[in-house]
Amino acid sequence: MSMRDLAREALRSLEANRGRSLLTILGIVIGIAAVIAMTSLIGGVRNSLVSGMGLNAARTIFISCAEPLDEDDLNDLARRIPDYEMIEGTYDSYTQVQVDNEMISVGITGSNPQFLEMTGMHSKVSEGRIYTEEEATSGARVALISRAGVEALFGTGTSSAVGETLKLNNKAYTIIGVIDDGITGTGYCNAYIPSKALLKDFSDGWHYFSQVTGLAREGVDIDALQEETKTQLAKVKRIDDEDIEDNVYVYSLKSSIDQFNTFMMSFQVMIGSVAGISLLVGGIGIMNMMLTNVTERIREIGVRRALGASRRDITLQFLAESSALCIAGGIIGTIVGYLIAWGLAFGITALGIDLSEVTGSTSAAFTPAIEPAAIAIAVGISVFIGVVFGYYPARRAAKLDPVECLRYQ
Amino acid sequence: MGEAGSTARPIIDIRHIHRIFESEAGLAHILHDISFTVQQGEFVAIIGPSGSGKSTLMNILGCLDTPTSGTYLLEGLDVAKLTDDELAEVRATRIGFVFQSFNLLPRMSVLDNVMLPLAYIDVPRREREMRAVHALRAVSLPLDHYDHRTNELSGGQMQRVAIARALVNDPAIILADEPTGNLDSTTGHQVLDTFHHLKDQGKTIVLITHDSSVAAEADRIVTIRDGRIFEGSTK
Repeated sequence: MSMRDLAREALRSLEANRGRSLLTILGIVIGIAAVIAMTSLIGGVRNSLVSGMGLNAARTIFISCAEPLDEDDLNDLARRIPDYEMIEGTYDSYTQVQVDNEMISVGITGSNPQFLEMTGMHSKVSEGRIYTEEEATSGARVALISRAGVEALFGTGTSSAVGETLKLNNKAYTIIGVIDDGITGTGYCNAYIPSKALLKDFSDGWHYFSQVTGLAREGVDIDALQEETKTQLAKVKRIDDEDIEDNVYVYSLKSSIDQFNTFMMSFQVMIGSVAGISLLVGGIGIMNMMLTNVTERIREIGVRRALGASRRDITLQFLAESSALCIAGGIIGTIVGYLIAWGLAFGITALGIDLSEVTGSTSAAFTPAIEPAAIAIAVGISVFIGVVFGYYPARRAAKLDPVECLRYQ
Repeated sequence: MGEAGSTARPIIDIRHIHRIFESEAGLAHILHDISFTVQQGEFVAIIGPSGSGKSTLMNILGCLDTPTSGTYLLEGLDVAKLTDDELAEVRATRIGFVFQSFNLLPRMSVLDNVMLPLAYIDVPRREREMRAVHALRAVSLPLDHYDHRTNELSGGQMQRVAIARALVNDPAIILADEPTGNLDSTTGHQVLDTFHHLKDQGKTIVLITHDSSVAAEADRIVTIRDGRIFEGSTK
């Protein structure tokens, strides 16, 4: 019998027993729903964690030193450690802008465009653009400002601040982009301008970085790189070995991501065992129904055998039925699981539980993420259960003697 | 069914068949040294009282069972020595069954029931439909019944669908086990008329019954009693 014939017959027979079929697959539905709800919730939390920290969070290393660091120091450090894809320094400054009768605080960060890309800032630009390489090299007076800054400077109703002029230290800066970092209503403004512009207008000759951030190459061992960075930075700044721990600080987000993963792992094990047990019970339910099914249809089996069905045809027929049952369970379970995930996400947001505590995300709301792989796995598990628990009843049906079957009343 | 020069060769040729069942109660010797032949295009009735071994003989003729000893040549092929899978293939291609209780599958439509044997020999679906319609025409079932479920039909109609199902794979023999046993005499006659009609088209039919009036419809009667054959009259 062809696959299409098998599928058609399996569906027909399940339809004939719709009520019983639905009850039987309940265990599978619960098991798969648990798996899908869990993976899409964790996926959602992880997404919001990653987007909060930027895509490169796991590879990002923060470097600071008691001795001030400048451009030359970073070039020296980068030459010594090839495991860095880039090391970027940023400058911080601060000024105030008068709007009507109010003074608005503006925190200014001077950086290269590469820094904005490395930290994922560029992906949060909701209007306009980040500055170009040319603007960075020439020290053009262009600025990106935060969403809260737009509200503070231009009022909450402002549709677009791009193109407006902002006077910082009496220098006219053109706003080229708005960064939506999810924070609103703070009353102050964050501005990002090219490093050259900051050094020109705000530094008074001070040319040391406020913060240094490195991005490790893909696949590099972060822990080892942190140690290497300490050692090499000490050499660059000629710091004695015994003073390293007090003067050089290197840390990364990897440890907090590791912590999150460990936390999620124990959660996963818990839900996973619940799902496993309900799938097992569901599978036994399937086997039970299939055995009943075989007994009820002994005569049909005899007729099919008389019409030319081989033992293999009978086995496949009943396997197709149990698989179709389980696949139906898997599909319903996937839908139910996804709905549960949405319900939970909604509940968490409604209850005002701030996930940013857990995730370090700047945004409190999150959406469950359903991965195609999760659906594929759910259906895969369903087929597996259908075949495993359907095999014994199917073999039993196939081994029946056709003569006995035809005589069966 | 034809290779050249096969006209002399019988469709069914069984020689010295014994069938012995083993059970905890001991050995039951059901068939004793049975030999007979059926020629192409013959309509043969096997008659015997219950317990005579005619069902066992029919199961062997239908390749549902194999003899304990002896040979059974179906169109020259010794089916007594075939494996289970090979027997299934012989049933699928060379044998059409008609049962006393019709044995149609109740959830399926008339057309699906008739097409079923062809699914086991992987005939494309379009061709199955054509052949099923052809077979249903041969038993004169009204066209508007093809989509009905079989449990919506009358007994006589069900048996005609069953005969169409037996015909659809163009078998070497049609084996009918008490085909009129569950029908009143009028519908029973209609079914027997269908067999006559098929015989006229050259089909080979073996009918098993305990009813001598039904057996009288056949060209030749083979009587079986206590597992032994008594070759009967030929019209």
